[in-house]
Amino acid sequence: MSAQPVPDAFDRFGQSVSERASPMVVKEIRQGLRTRTFWIFFTLLLIACMVGALIAFAASSTGEAGGGAFIAFFSMLSVVQFFVIPFTAYRSMAREQDDETWVLLTLTGMGPRRVIFGKITSFVLQGALYSCAAAPFLLFSYFLNGIGLPTILFAMCFAAAYQVFLVSIAVSIATAAHTKLMRSLLQFAVLAILFQGLMMGIGGGSGLAQFFRRDSVDFDFIFACGCVLFAMLSTAALLFESAAAGLSLTTENYSRGPRIAFLVQIIGGTLLFAASAQVMHSTRVLPFGSALVSAYAVFIGTYIAADLDGLARILEPKRGSVLSPGAYRGFILVTTALLLCNGVLLVMGFTTETREKDLVVMIAAPAFALFYLALPHLVGRVLPRGSTPRHVMVRIVSLAWLLVGSGLPPLIGALVSAPDDEWLNLLNPVVGIANIAQRTDNLSIQLVVIWLAAVTAGLATLGVLRRNDR
Amino acid sequence: MSLLEVKGVSRFFGSLKAVDDVSFTLDEGTILGFIGPNGAGKSTTMRIIATLDVPNEGEVTLDGRNIVERPDQARPLIGYMPDRYGTYDDMTVFEFLDFFARAYRLKGAQRTQRVDSVMDFTGTLPLRNKLTSELSKGMRQRVALGRTLLHDPKLLLLDEPADGLDPRARIELRELLRALAAQGKAVLISSHILTELSEICDTCAIIEQGRLLATGPVQEVLAASGGAAPHVELDLKLLDDSQAVVQACERLLLEQPLVSKVSLSGGPVIHVRLELPPGTPLTAQWSDQACAQLIKLLVAREVPLCSLSAKTLDLEDAFMSVTKGRVQ
Repeated sequence: MSAQPVPDAFDRFGQSVSERASPMVVKEIRQGLRTRTFWIFFTLLLIACMVGALIAFAASSTGEAGGGAFIAFFSMLSVVQFFVIPFTAYRSMAREQDDETWVLLTLTGMGPRRVIFGKITSFVLQGALYSCAAAPFLLFSYFLNGIGLPTILFAMCFAAAYQVFLVSIAVSIATAAHTKLMRSLLQFAVLAILFQGLMMGIGGGSGLAQFFRRDSVDFDFIFACGCVLFAMLSTAALLFESAAAGLSLTTENYSRGPRIAFLVQIIGGTLLFAASAQVMHSTRVLPFGSALVSAYAVFIGTYIAADLDGLARILEPKRGSVLSPGAYRGFILVTTALLLCNGVLLVMGFTTETREKDLVVMIAAPAFALFYLALPHLVGRVLPRGSTPRHVMVRIVSLAWLLVGSGLPPLIGALVSAPDDEWLNLLNPVVGIANIAQRTDNLSIQLVVIWLAAVTAGLATLGVLRRNDR
Repeated sequence: MSLLEVKGVSRFFGSLKAVDDVSFTLDEGTILGFIGPNGAGKSTTMRIIATLDVPNEGEVTLDGRNIVERPDQARPLIGYMPDRYGTYDDMTVFEFLDFFARAYRLKGAQRTQRVDSVMDFTGTLPLRNKLTSELSKGMRQRVALGRTLLHDPKLLLLDEPADGLDPRARIELRELLRALAAQGKAVLISSHILTELSEICDTCAIIEQGRLLATGPVQEVLAASGGAAPHVELDLKLLDDSQAVVQACERLLLEQPLVSKVSLSGGPVIHVRLELPPGTPLTAQWSDQACAQLIKLLVAREVPLCSLSAKTLDLEDAFMSVTKGRVQ
């Protein structure tokens, strides 16, 4: 009779990690390491890096080959990290829904957030395995001269964040489709997005290698990179929370995650614009920031605020919170965030030497946003919707409203030989703002009219949503 | 109080009423057969009970907890197996069960023990290291059933579990379900194979076009099924198929008070229909006694009886009768 083998320290450590890790991570790693895709690409990556290293070594005798070698190794790793892994993540999530294993996961009590987080984490960890394989080659490029160690480390961190971003996009797209046909169609969209993402990733890596001189640090560049990182990671968080919300039951507080992510992004973005105005010593950033925050509130805010009316009985004790489900609370949250963030930028504009024209744009931008945010909610509740859910109807109306608002006035104007007429385009979110930024006559009256329209639309929407919430 | 109480549950999809005012109860240790044609609302009702969907109207309580309002409290009590078993092809049987055991927050040795005991119960222990994609449909279904048992739920919801299984796998499934009911678990099972259900179910619920047409113990549903009175049908085969012998036998049978109808096939086989006296419940015992009485009579009168086979009214008859044959 053979004795039971005694686990060594390494085994015990492995068991301890596996016990603590999320079940989804353990499952996905087990499945991932068994797939042919993983081993084929792992082998190909190693072979490609090996060949690249030999070529780079041969080229190093003639000069600094480190920069070129780094770009080559980074590109090889990018194919796997920015394309293969996110696409595998999409397929994995889509298969979970196709095979109806998703409902079984939900019933375990893990909840959509834990499941999706586990998925994303496991694919990022698989990416880390590929990175480990490519890391010696990336470091090797340092010894070939022409690239600094901080650049390599910075690029690797950036690549990791970019991979999280792409995996989040892929997984959230997989959760957005509710039919097999839709998922098959979306597969092409994912491929296109990831291909573009791959090109941008390789371009970004190459840009980093070109920009950084050995051991030199440019603060503005670091700040810009920080802003891009914030944008990527906060968008990944928003996508993750939205995907989890889409898969939650109406009895769960599904709106909390996306709304917090929205707040983080809009407040963080505002603060970054305020900081960049200080860093770059330029107040021109402020109107740009105000316009961007307003546009963000219209597009993402409409998605956040467009929700079912009312909330499940179980959630009623939390009724007062703007993070609880319901279009009424969603609208209050988005409107408040829009006005507060623009208020901060405006106060900053008034306290610094900002041009008057820029200040006018900063006053008008939130009014346009409020107007285009509020009206779709009203129209969406008046129109007959058939089998389309109310929140989907609001999102459709919002897009249509933006197209009509920005396209129709210039069209009518063209017929009467005045395509950019200031009164005709007063509520046009594109030409209207451009007119305000360029012209000076009738400015006060125009601002009053725009704000009057926005406040009226906002209050009317608030009233209707409040009535429907009861 | 019943373990599961479904009260006036309705679910609408636009103008379509998928489930319309459905009410029934299920006690611990009983098996309820949920019968209905495709699109009748069986799966929607099961999904509502499984907390995967929310009804527009009505309440569902499980062990006294309202599952519509507190699905999180109800889920640990439910083991749900959808019509597609939901196994991961690229995982071994152990890995698959281990993953779900982890998901149910079972830790360390307790998890390993639970997975082993479930594999033992479902007979999948020898397949521990086999990929689920390499298993037969019957075995995969056992693994899926094992998954539903990992967290020791009180209620099992099995949606068309016998679909596509060979006869042997069906018999084995029946045995497993009986064993589970004996352990005190309540089982709600939907199936098209009504003969299978009638053999394992204690109670049944017949649903059509979203409405519950009949519910209760199988015998009560059989007895109450509209259209036909409770009856037993027999096929008598005679050794001698001469017209004189067959007609004499026919006359003799028609004289018996229980016999309501005799029909001849032209050969040695005579179809006999026995009807129960009003108010008498149709039980297997009654059927056996009636057959014994008839055999005794025929033998005493020297009728050359070769064989007798009885076919009692089963769920299939009840279903056809209750649904008025509107099967889609």
